[in-house]
Amino acid sequence: MIEFQQVSKHYGRDSIALADITLSIGKGELVFLSGPSGAGKSTLLKMIAAIERPNSGTIAVNGQNICRIKSSGIPYLRRSLGLIFQQQTLLNDRSVLANVMLPLLVAGNPKADAEKRARAALDKVGLLDKSPFFPMSLSGGEQQRVAIARAIVNRPQIILADEPTANLDRASANKVMDALNDFHGVGVTCLIATHDEQILNGASRVIYLERGRLAREANP
Amino acid sequence: MNTWLRQHAFALTDAFKHLLHAPGSFGLNVLVVAIALALPFAGLTVLENIRPLSEQLAVEPEISIFMAMDTPRERVTALAPQIRRIVQDSRSTGKLEFVPREQALTLLKNKTGFSDAITALGDNPLPDGYILKLASFRDAGEATRIDMLAAQLKALPGVEYVQVDSAWVKRLAALLHVLRLVLFFLAATLGVVVMAVVFNTIRLQVMTQREEIEVCRMFGATNAFICRPFFYTGALLGLCAGAVALGMVATALGPLNGAIVEFARLYASEFQLAPLNFSIEIALLAMSAGLGLIGALLSVKRHLGRIS
Repeated sequence: MIEFQQVSKHYGRDSIALADITLSIGKGELVFLSGPSGAGKSTLLKMIAAIERPNSGTIAVNGQNICRIKSSGIPYLRRSLGLIFQQQTLLNDRSVLANVMLPLLVAGNPKADAEKRARAALDKVGLLDKSPFFPMSLSGGEQQRVAIARAIVNRPQIILADEPTANLDRASANKVMDALNDFHGVGVTCLIATHDEQILNGASRVIYLERGRLAREANP
Repeated sequence: MNTWLRQHAFALTDAFKHLLHAPGSFGLNVLVVAIALALPFAGLTVLENIRPLSEQLAVEPEISIFMAMDTPRERVTALAPQIRRIVQDSRSTGKLEFVPREQALTLLKNKTGFSDAITALGDNPLPDGYILKLASFRDAGEATRIDMLAAQLKALPGVEYVQVDSAWVKRLAALLHVLRLVLFFLAATLGVVVMAVVFNTIRLQVMTQREEIEVCRMFGATNAFICRPFFYTGALLGLCAGAVALGMVATALGPLNGAIVEFARLYASEFQLAPLNFSIEIALLAMSAGLGLIGALLSVKRHLGRIS
């Protein structure tokens, strides 16, 4: 599903973000990326979404070499992904429902259909009753769950989550992880960057990065 | 096709939403652009009103050839074939009429109402002459050709004076030409002003919506999807400004015509400025929207690239 072959990324001469990364993630896997800040977790996720481009190596998503993808093809790649970031990037001038509808409208879905699917996604993360509210009126955990609803509303094949539980209390973090586990349960490939030890304790596969290099891999 | 229409409907709605979000700012921008557009629109209104007038004035130019008083009648009449040849050589067509001095005097007496005064002069002070009526001409270039013809006629033996009475038509044609050029440069300059205002408006909007643009990109928005609302905003701004500018010009015509009618009456004319016709107004609105669209296009191209 996701293949990294000797991928390197550097900013200038001295700042190495990723160095010679080779890894493979199969369909339906739940994989955690861990490591200290600056280890390259976010860069790796951004590369899968073609937000960043590698300096060398190849990245394949669903068999497609995304390093060769033209800029006009990137939007279509991103529509097959569900992206969740540490900072929720919800639009504060739009309601929760409108935020979740956005990826569907971007893809050209009819408004009525988008609304129906957005409500279903909000229901899955337990926030249907918050539909008319604005993001600023929600707690951090709720905002993160809205971001998850927005990420899965397009029924993506892959979910990329960058520190989805950062800055959340334990109860909220568990709710977020429960939601992500649910999607993994229905066959969605999930790649989650985190350094939350409690989450990693129950993980099936953890990839550790250090200074942009693949340090070790654990399959507890 | 449905998706394409849906995307455009979404973009248009989005553009309206953003405009209504800050109606004061949009209104001011419309006003600035409208003032810039009103000037060339007013100029065009004046030109469109004068144009038919000048076309009506494009009558057969008349050349009067006055002979010297001491030229014998036989030599005067013998000049007719030479005049016709000169006219023919200058690739003109016209009607030549000989006016003997006696006939000229009668005409003068009948026309001017100074019959008694002219009779009191005793001798006939008028010379023999010819009146050459040429085919109509429209522009200043043709008038120059008539001047050359007049110069050739003046060189004929026995000719004292040649008068071309089309000079004022020539002046009017030249003046209209200058006015058209001035209007063109004015419109071009103010067109740039309009585009600059729209450019800046869209720049601010792109900056304000930076976060939204980034989020949309993250979820697979194409460049067309992101750009469309800005294009619609630019076109709407131009369109609204064009409509306001036309309204300004139409409103100004009322009091202006009051003064013009009084002025024209002094010259026994009923001339007054009429509003532009509907098809021209539609064309001006389309042009205003087009200018807005071009301004938005340039702005989006420049500023969206920076965000990506």
